[in-house]
Amino acid sequence: MAPRPLEITDLLWSVDADGVPLAVSKAAVVSRLTALGQRRAARIVAALPAPDGMLDLGHVDALGFRVHCELQRLGEELQLARRVPALLSPIVGMIRLRDSGPVRVVDVGCGLGSVLRTIAASSALGAGVELVGVDLNPFLIAEARRLAEQEGLTCRFEQGDAFEPELAIQDGARCVVISSGFVHHLSESSLAGFFAAQARLRVAAFAHWDIAPCLWSTLGAWVFHYARMREPVSRHDGVLSARRAYPAAKLQHAAQTGAPGYDIQVMEGSRWHPRALDVLRPIVGTLP
Amino acid sequence: MTAAVVITLLILALLDGSFAGFRASVGRTGLINHRQSDFQAARRGAGLVCALLAPAIAEVCVDLLVHPAHLEQYTRAGKAMLEVYGPYALLVIIALGCYAALDWRLKYLASALILGPFTLLRPVIAVLGGALGLAQGKNTAVAAAVALSVIAVLAVEPLAGRLWYGTKRRWT
Repeated sequence: MAPRPLEITDLLWSVDADGVPLAVSKAAVVSRLTALGQRRAARIVAALPAPDGMLDLGHVDALGFRVHCELQRLGEELQLARRVPALLSPIVGMIRLRDSGPVRVVDVGCGLGSVLRTIAASSALGAGVELVGVDLNPFLIAEARRLAEQEGLTCRFEQGDAFEPELAIQDGARCVVISSGFVHHLSESSLAGFFAAQARLRVAAFAHWDIAPCLWSTLGAWVFHYARMREPVSRHDGVLSARRAYPAAKLQHAAQTGAPGYDIQVMEGSRWHPRALDVLRPIVGTLP
Repeated sequence: MTAAVVITLLILALLDGSFAGFRASVGRTGLINHRQSDFQAARRGAGLVCALLAPAIAEVCVDLLVHPAHLEQYTRAGKAMLEVYGPYALLVIIALGCYAALDWRLKYLASALILGPFTLLRPVIAVLGGALGLAQGKNTAVAAAVALSVIAVLAVEPLAGRLWYGTKRRWT
């Protein structure tokens, strides 16, 4: 089986075990992309500034901010911050019926935390819901905090690994783990482990939105990323993410393997028509 | 007829400039509430397209003062441009109406089917309308006015981006 192509944003940052950013060699990134036949991606990275051969972290962070702002814009167009609470509301209600006290929604791989910040701004999940975003990238977490503070939003952001969500989860029974556009960044071999990390903490539910891969979503991703995005990295990664996204059967299998006690469902429509309305569809797992 | 063509083209240019200004601004700050900055960007886009169209308008005025007979050629060129821009604008306006009116679950349809693809097609449509205008004009002055107008309209978004929304590192 051919190796999966890589997104540029997966290669520009690296952190050590303590979450401290490490220098990234431009030549290493370029050669990795070239080896996979991704010449355009290699050219985009080759154009980035790299004093002494290491990518300029300030420039890369600024680029990452712009890319995530553009992603946020696309998420707004997809009504993502309405789709998420629409699905979560009954789940949160169910948890409240079982147990009083605050319910926590943890967004893993949250980037700039736009989904949580929008939910916080609209109070779409009502009172008594704690919103916590987790991302491995310390710069994005700092920016998410800054943006939340600037708009006076009640949500929290922590640097951490999606495979170790205990950082943000103290009581799994009152917690829902979500993500959007994150799962396709994981390797196929780590998918089951991703779901297992949430099942290990016995979270009440998880819901992970990602692109439903098909010809239409790839075509749509191309049109939208070229029409809406300015950064070549955004355009490259956006189109590639539609190609890299996992089909429902693969997600379902990984979730059943990693979280065997959960009721699992990939909520996507028919494969036989353009998926204009469920371009991003969730895989939902609930603990009976 | 001439007045109607001129007014319609100017209204379309203003609308397009507003949307171009909006596109240049959106997705820059990461803020959740950006309604005010969206409106500001639209106003800036409308102002910028007026400024950028000024040379074309001045050229037409001067030419008509010297050669009043060229009016018919300008009108023909304008009508040809409207044959392309009119249906495009109509579909965009209908899609925007649908976007505003539809339930949030369905809003994305307007984007997916019309607004997104049409943004991508916009430069092609602008050039196509200009080419038809050039073909109808058959006169150097008319051709220059058409070319200047198309360049002005296409320049709004990148220029607004450079003028007001450059890639500043806002956190420093």
